[in-house]
Amino acid sequence: MDSEWSNQPEKINGSEQDREFERELKQAMERRPAPPTLKRRIMQKRSARRTDRRHTTMIWWQRLAASLLAGAVLAGGFGWRQMEERRKGEEAKQQLMTALRITNQVLNNMNRKLAEHDRSDEAK
Amino acid sequence: MAQRWQPDFEQLVDEHQSMVFSLAWRMTGDRGLAEEVAQDVFLELDRHMERIESPEHALNWLRRVAMSRSADALRRRRVRGVDLWVEIEDKHGSPAEERQSPLETRLEQLLSTLPEAQRAALVLRYQEDMTPEEIAVAVEAPIATVKSNLHRGLKLLRAKATTHLKEYIRGL
Repeated sequence: MDSEWSNQPEKINGSEQDREFERELKQAMERRPAPPTLKRRIMQKRSARRTDRRHTTMIWWQRLAASLLAGAVLAGGFGWRQMEERRKGEEAKQQLMTALRITNQVLNNMNRKLAEHDRSDEAK
Repeated sequence: MAQRWQPDFEQLVDEHQSMVFSLAWRMTGDRGLAEEVAQDVFLELDRHMERIESPEHALNWLRRVAMSRSADALRRRRVRGVDLWVEIEDKHGSPAEERQSPLETRLEQLLSTLPEAQRAALVLRYQEDMTPEEIAVAVEAPIATVKSNLHRGLKLLRAKATTHLKEYIRGL
C-alpha cells in the first residue's frame, strides 16, 4: 500500500475511528476466490475460439481457392471463346479468298473466251 | 541482450482469476455477470498475449481491462433496464459470502451503492492496495479526480455505515 497515503489517514478523514473504519473496509475487501469452474470455462472458451478461428481461416482459404478456380475457369472460357472466334474469322477469310480466287479465274476465263470470240469475228 | 519474458496464459489465469473476478463482482454487484466479465477479460488477454511484456504489465493490464469491462457491463445493464440494486440486495447474503462476517458483507453492500467512479477508486485502493497514482493509470483518469473520488467515496461510505451499520457503531 502507498505508505504516505495510508499512514496519514487524517488527510482523508482524520481520526482513529476513521482508521478503524479503513481497516474494516480493507478486511471486507479481500479478494474473493474465483469460482472453481471459472478457469475450466476460460480454457474451454479459448480452445473453442481457437478452433473457430482455424475453421474460419480454413473457410476463407477455401473461398479464396474457389474464387481463384472460378476466375481461372472464366478466364479460360473467355480466352477459348476469343481463340475460337479468331479461328472462325480466319477460316471465313480463307473461304472468302478461295471464293475470290475462283471468281477471278472464272472472270479471266470468260475474258479470254470473249477476246478469242472477238478476234474470230474480226477475222471473218 | 535480456531474454524476453514469455507469458504462460494458463499460469496467468491461475494467478489472477481471483483478482479479476473480485474486481468485476465488486464493480457489477452481480456474481454471474462478474464471471462473464472475468471470462471476457481473460479471453481478451489471450488475444493480446504477444503485447504483454512482463508479469507487472500483465497484472496492470488485467486490472485496467477488468475495470473497463465491468463498467461496460454495468452500462449495458442500465441500457437493458435491469434494476441492479435489487439484484445486489438479492445476491449479497448468498452462500458464497458465508465466509465473511455480517459486518463485512454489509460494508460490501453499502460499497455497491456508491457512484461508479467512487466505487472503482475504493475497490482498487482497498482490494488491490493500489496508490492513487496507480489507480489513475488503471481507470484512465487524472490523479486529482482519483484522489477526490477516494475522499468522497470514503466519506460517503462512512456516512452510510454510520446510518446503517448499528453493530459497527456499537463496536466502536
